[in-house]
Amino acid sequence: MDLSVAIGGKKLPNPVGVASGTFGYGGEYEQLVDFAAIGALYTKAVTLMPRPGNDIPRIVETPSGLINSIGLANVGVDRFISEKMPHCRELPCAVVVNIAGSSADEYARVLEKLETCPGIWGYEINVSCPNVKHGGMAFGTDPAQVERLTADLRKRTKNPIIVKLTPNVTDIRTIAKAAQEGGADAVSCINTLVGMVIDVGAKKPVLPMGTGGLSGPAIRPVGVAATYAVSRAVSIPVIGLGGISGPLDALQYLLAGASAVQIGTANFVDPTTTARVLAGIREFCERENVSCIKDLHRFIP
Amino acid sequence: MKQFIAKILSHASVSDCFFELAFAWDAAAGPVLPGQFCTIRVSPYSAPLLRRPFAFSRYDEKTGVAAIAYKKRGPATELLSCKPAGGTINIIGPLGNDFFRFATAGYAHFYLVAGGTGFGPVAFLANHCAQRNLACTVVLGCRTRSQLPRLNLLPSVKAVVCTDDGSEGIHGTPLTYLATLSPMQYASSAVFSCGPAPLLAGCHEWALARGLSCFVSVEQVMACGVGACMGCAVRVTDAGANGFARACTEGPVFDSRRILWT
Ligand SMILES: Cc1cc2nc3c(=O)[nH]c(=O)nc-3n(C[C@H](O)[C@H](O)[C@H](O)COP(=O)(O)OP(=O)(O)OC[C@H]3O[C@@H](n4cnc5c(N)ncnc54)[C@H](O)[C@@H]3O)c2cc1C
Ligand SMILES: Cc1cc2nc3c(=O)[nH]c(=O)nc-3n(C[C@H](O)[C@H](O)[C@H](O)COP(=O)(O)O)c2cc1C
Ligand code: FES
Repeated sequence: MDLSVAIGGKKLPNPVGVASGTFGYGGEYEQLVDFAAIGALYTKAVTLMPRPGNDIPRIVETPSGLINSIGLANVGVDRFISEKMPHCRELPCAVVVNIAGSSADEYARVLEKLETCPGIWGYEINVSCPNVKHGGMAFGTDPAQVERLTADLRKRTKNPIIVKLTPNVTDIRTIAKAAQEGGADAVSCINTLVGMVIDVGAKKPVLPMGTGGLSGPAIRPVGVAATYAVSRAVSIPVIGLGGISGPLDALQYLLAGASAVQIGTANFVDPTTTARVLAGIREFCERENVSCIKDLHRFIP
Repeated sequence: MKQFIAKILSHASVSDCFFELAFAWDAAAGPVLPGQFCTIRVSPYSAPLLRRPFAFSRYDEKTGVAAIAYKKRGPATELLSCKPAGGTINIIGPLGNDFFRFATAGYAHFYLVAGGTGFGPVAFLANHCAQRNLACTVVLGCRTRSQLPRLNLLPSVKAVVCTDDGSEGIHGTPLTYLATLSPMQYASSAVFSCGPAPLLAGCHEWALARGLSCFVSVEQVMACGVGACMGCAVRVTDAGANGFARACTEGPVFDSRRILWT
């Protein structure tokens, strides 16, 4: 059985990755997980300059989920390259760097700096962060901007480009098609959904920004539906994520049309989720006589 | 640091609002120091979802027993309180830094100030000091006598109790007690504090005004507990840290002068 995943001329060793923002730069989880079982590490978003992130508190739990307002807190691309990459490069899994910016120019400059740095498998373009005022989701909700941005980045790298989609749009398929037109090698869906929790006693939102991004088991059906729709609208591979906490959740995404999956919030609950999901996918494929991930797509037309 | 399934050795109430849960420690996870914490996954289902952080209230390397002392506050602690001795819990730990790294030479005495859920780690720290012949005074604050937890402090530990209603010990909070101390008494002392934010801020101000060092254990909502998500940020004064530090890995214990008090 072949569980590898082909994206843009490269291969991921297996279809189960860890989602951006939930696994840091890898080192944080080193004592708790076996990185050999991870297909890809999608790093925390990297921006041109260091960003302090949003005001606190930044996390609030919701029914079967959580809302975060981290706000792209990161060390900036230069320190990412000098401080984080030396360790990332040693990991046995593929390292996909999640890139964010406030302008098309910022995305381009971050990518150009990363191009000089060995050990990067590919890029995930974050046009879907709901927690920043400029850039982020503002790009990801406009098909024309997504296509232009993707095309511009495409010119600057031969590494795989994965565009990460936001579910906070009227029709996610139009954004996915725009990414494909721009030359993306894959799309990942979904980023978090805009959500709000109000402290009734204080009569104000719990998070200082008001809203944040909802993730976790609560959003899984939204992610599966988005994956189903997007995988029928584009011909490039779709990476499914949102609320996966076990093998059956991941198999829903794969049956819906995803070629790979990512584990996000579930890492907080059980850092070994990735290994458990991978083992479960393998077992299912063996039992069902499925030869490769693509073969799973025939069940649901 | 390790994730493991621990056997619950005992689980009992230690006051009318506190529970102590003792469990078998996995030696492979490494030793535990006062101030450090673990995270517990209380439910195998998706709600409550996140692991919850709890500071250690004791740890004995020889017997391999660790414990936490906690208060029922919401769904996770409610569920936790139902777990019987003989059952199991899912632990990740030890996490965070410890009080002891700050207890460097030069201090002749420590005031160990606890309020609310801070009792556990302060009791652990007090016994740790006593075993090492470090002079300390534990100052415990709670609302009323019946809430005072029965935590086993070694006989050599001096404890001062403060209750809001005066039903036991000093009538007032630990800050009321600190305010009565004379320069002779607090000379060469340092303060360690764990509890509600106003208590920590009060200890910081008391120490600052007297030129003493103060170390506080801060509480913040955590998602990962290992430094990966940036969710547990607290405001700090040093620009090098971009104005924020992670409570789970750079803390939970901070020099109080590093915290940006608001
Ligand atoms: C480093 C650290 C050490 C702690 N040590 C102790 C201890 O020794 N004893 C003890 O009783 N409590 C301790 N706490 C607090 C404990 O984690 C909360 O009481 C617990 O999470 C409450 O969960 P709940 O579902 O019962 O209540 P909820 O209704 O969810 O919350 C009650 C309160 O707990 C806090 N809280 C909720 N979720 C989290 C989370 N994921 N992380 C951190 N805080 C949260 C919130 O401030 C909230 O106001 C500690 C917290 C931290 C950060
Ligand atoms: C704390 C936190 C931080 C995140 N940071 C990022 C980020 O920097 N870039 C990004 O593209 N997505 C980020 N995400 C979104 C996740 O990668 C993922 O798309 C989302 O959480 C849905 O998956 P899940 O339900 O499995 O968590 C973050 C999510 C969380 C919970
Ligand atoms: S809880 Fe995730 S960084 Fe501290």
